Amino acid sequence: MLRYIARRIALALPALFGLVVLTFILSRVIPGDPAATLAGDSATPAQLADIRARYGLDRPIMEQAWVHMRQVLSGDLGNSIFSGRPVAEDIARRLPATLELTFVALLIATCLGIPLGLVAALNHNGPIDHLVRVLSVGGLAVASFWLAIMLQLQFSMEWDVLPLRGRMDVPLGMPARVTGFLLIDTLLAGRGDMFVDALRHLVLPGVTLALPGLATIARFTRSGVLEALQKDYVLYARAAGYGRFRLATIFVLRNAITVTVTQIGLLFGALISGAVAIEAVFDWPGLGTYAVQAILSADYKALLAVTLVVGVIYAVVNVLVDIAQAMIDPRVALQ
Amino acid sequence: MKRHLLRACLAFGLLAAPQVTQAQAQAPRPLVWGDTLPATLDPHAIFDVPSQFVLLNVYDGLYRYQGNPPRLEPWLAESHTVSADGLTWDFTLRAGVKFHDGSVMTAEDVVYSFRRLLTMNRGPASAFTPVLAPERVTATGPLSVRFVLSSAYAPFLSAMPLVAIVNPRAIAPNVANNDWGAAWLAVNSAGSGAYSVVAGNYQTRVSLDIQRFADFFRGWAGNPRPVETVRVRPVMETSTRVLALLRGEIDATDSYLPTDQVERVERNARTRVARDESMRVFTIRMNNMRAPFNNRDARLCLTHAFNYEGFNNVILRGFVVRNAGPNPNNLWGNPPDLAPYAFDLAKAREHCDRARAAGVDFSRPLEIHVQNELEQTVQAAQMFQADLRRVGITLRIVPNTWPGITGSTSRSETTPDMWIHWVSTYFVDPENWVGQMYDSQFHGTWKASSWYSNPEVDRLLRAARTNLSQEERQRLYAEATRLVVADAPDIWVYNTVNLRGLTRRVQGYSFSPVGSGGEIRLMSLTE
Repeated sequence: MLRYIARRIALALPALFGLVVLTFILSRVIPGDPAATLAGDSATPAQLADIRARYGLDRPIMEQAWVHMRQVLSGDLGNSIFSGRPVAEDIARRLPATLELTFVALLIATCLGIPLGLVAALNHNGPIDHLVRVLSVGGLAVASFWLAIMLQLQFSMEWDVLPLRGRMDVPLGMPARVTGFLLIDTLLAGRGDMFVDALRHLVLPGVTLALPGLATIARFTRSGVLEALQKDYVLYARAAGYGRFRLATIFVLRNAITVTVTQIGLLFGALISGAVAIEAVFDWPGLGTYAVQAILSADYKALLAVTLVVGVIYAVVNVLVDIAQAMIDPRVALQ
Repeated sequence: MKRHLLRACLAFGLLAAPQVTQAQAQAPRPLVWGDTLPATLDPHAIFDVPSQFVLLNVYDGLYRYQGNPPRLEPWLAESHTVSADGLTWDFTLRAGVKFHDGSVMTAEDVVYSFRRLLTMNRGPASAFTPVLAPERVTATGPLSVRFVLSSAYAPFLSAMPLVAIVNPRAIAPNVANNDWGAAWLAVNSAGSGAYSVVAGNYQTRVSLDIQRFADFFRGWAGNPRPVETVRVRPVMETSTRVLALLRGEIDATDSYLPTDQVERVERNARTRVARDESMRVFTIRMNNMRAPFNNRDARLCLTHAFNYEGFNNVILRGFVVRNAGPNPNNLWGNPPDLAPYAFDLAKAREHCDRARAAGVDFSRPLEIHVQNELEQTVQAAQMFQADLRRVGITLRIVPNTWPGITGSTSRSETTPDMWIHWVSTYFVDPENWVGQMYDSQFHGTWKASSWYSNPEVDRLLRAARTNLSQEERQRLYAEATRLVVADAPDIWVYNTVNLRGLTRRVQGYSFSPVGSGGEIRLMSLTE
C-alpha cells in the first residue's frame, strides 16, 4: 500500500511541474502588457521601458520562465506587480473563503445527492425516478451564473429572506481572523449572531455551487444502487426478510457508494475551479474573484500563483481519491 | 420523524429570518460605498480612476479640482508663482496641516513626496518625468518648495492634484529593500486627508474602512453632520451591484450605472440616480499607419458610417452628450462651434468610392477590439458592424481586455485596426486629451494609439504645452483640435454623463469629473 501511495505522489509531481511551465508560458504569450497597466494612463514609452526592465519583463521568455521556476521551487510565489505584496499572503487571505464555500457546497451536494439517487433507484422508472432524472439533467445543464441571479432575485429581492452578497452583513463587521473560515472564527469569537449571519450568507452561493455536483452524485448513486439491486446478496437479504429501508441502507447503499465516493473526491477540485462565476455574482472574496481581478489587470504573478494553488489542490485530492479507492477495493493497489 | 421535521423547519426559519442584534439596532449604519477599489493604496504607485478615491479622501495634494466644470483650487499650498520662462515654480504651503499621526506637514515632506514619486517612476509620475528630475525639487524654506523644470511645461499646475503628499515619518520605519516603503504603503496610509484608513481592516480590492480625521486641515465647519465611518465594499458584478443598492446593502454604486438600470433605480423609494456631465470621451480608435486607415477618405467613410444618434439616444437612452472631437465639450480650449460628424451612409459611400479610386483596398475584414467586460464597447462594435456592411466593409469584432489592448499599442504593427475606449479626466487640461492623443511624440502610448501624425498639429500642441498664457494656449489648442477633427483620425462619439446610484439617505453628494464625485467629506447621512 505504501508503495502504491508513493507511486501516486511521484506521478503527481511531473504533472505539477508541467503545470507551472505551461501556465507561465501561456500567461506571457497571451496579449496583455503588465507594464502598461502598471505605468498607468499617460505612460511614456521611456516609463514603460523602465518598468519592463525593473520587473524583468524585457528578458527572453525562457529566461523569465527559469527565474519563475526557481522562485516556485524555493517556495516563493512572487509579489503582485501592482501592490508589491507577496502573492502567497493574498492567496492565504482568500483561500479560506473559497474552501468554506466549497465544503458547504460539497456537503449540500452529498447530503441531498445520495438520498435522491437512492430513492430514484428504489423507485426505478417511477414518477420519483423520472423527477430525479429531470433534476439531474437540469442541474448539470443550467448555467450557474443564471441560477445565481435567479436565486438572488427570488430569495433576496422578492422574499427578502436571505442575503444577496458577501460573507457577512457590512454593519456587523468581521470576527477576529484566526482560521479565515467564518463559521469557525465566529464561534471562536463567541459571536452566535455572526455565526448565523455567516451561515445565512453561505446558503445561496452554496446551493448554486452545489447543484451540478448534486446532480452528478445523484446520477452515480442511482446507477450504483440499480446495479447493486441486481446482485444475488440483495435477493438473499430480501428472502431473509429485511425490510425495504434496512435493505437499502445496510446492503445496497454501502456496496453501491464506492463509485460515488470517488466522484465526491473529484468534485471537490471541480467545485473550487467552478467557484469563479459563483464568487463573482455573489461577491464572494475568494480565490475565484482574485483570479478574475488578476486576469483583468494582467497581474500575471497573481494569476500564476492561483493556477498553481488550484493545481496542487487538484493533485492532492486526486492522490487522496486514489488512496481511498485502494482502501475500499484493495485490488486497485495490486494493479 | 415529525419531531425531526419540526427541528429542520425551525433551523431554516432561524437562518431565513433577518438577524438584527441589539448592537446593530443602536449603532448608526455606516456609509457603504460600492465603488471599485484600486489594486494598491499607495498613491504614487498607481494612476487610474479607482485610485482617485484614495487620493481624494485619504491624501491631499498641493492643489485640488473642485466642482463641475472643475476649478483648480489651492489645497495644501496657499499660492504659487512661476518665473517668466516657465521653468521655476515656487509654492507657498499652508501652515499647521497635520498628518493622521499628528505630525505637522513641512516643505521637506513635499520634497520627499515628489522625489518618491519621480524615483519610483510609476503611475502619476508620467505627467512629470519628462520635465522634472527628483533633485530639482527643493525646500526653500519651512513652508516653501521650488520646482525647476528642464523645459517649460504649461500643464504643470493642472497635473499638480495628481500628487499625494505623504508623511515620510510614517513611511521611514517601513522601508524594505530600498522600496520607498511601497510594500507597506500598499496596505497602509500616510496621509493628511479628511479620512484615515482603519488599520488592519483593509483587504486588497475587497474591503477598505476609513474613518473621519477630526484634525483635517480644512476643518469640518462646512459639514455639520459629516460621515464618521465609510466602508468601501466593491461589488464586482453589475447586476449584483444594482440589487445591493436597491436592498440598501450599499449606499452608492460606481458612477457607470448601466443606462437600462436608471429607471429601475429611480423607481425604488429609497434610491436615486445622480446624473452629471463628466469629461470622459467615448472614442473609436483607428490605426492611421495601417491601410485603409492611412487614407483620409477611408477614415471619413468610417466616420460617417457610425450611427451616433442611434447609439447615444436609443442604446444609451440619451444618458450621454454627443461630442464632436477628442476634447470633452465642456473643456476650455475646445472650439465651441465644432460641428460633429453625422451618420450619413450616402456620404460614407462617397468617401469610400474616393478612397477606392485612390487605390485603397477594403476587401480585407477590419478588426475592432472591444473590452469584453464593458458592454458598451461591444454594443457600439455590433452596431458599427451592421452599418459598415451596408457600405461594403466587413468588420470583425475581437473580444479583448484593457491590458490586452494597451499592451499591444506600443508598436503600430501590433496595434489593432480599431479599438474602443474612454479617455477619462486625470487632469483638466486639453493636454490630457488632444495633447497626448495626437502629438506624434506620444506614439507608443495607448493614448496616442491612432498613430496620427500631422507636423502642423505637432507644432501647435508643442507650442501650447510650453506657453504660459492661458489665452494663447486656448487659441493654440482650438486650432489644433480643428485640424485633428478635419483629418478624422478617430471617431468621437459622446461625452459621458456619469450615472451613480445612491440611496436617498446620502446627502451632499457633489460631482467633479476628477474623482467622479467620490469626495466623502462633503457628504452626510440621514436615517
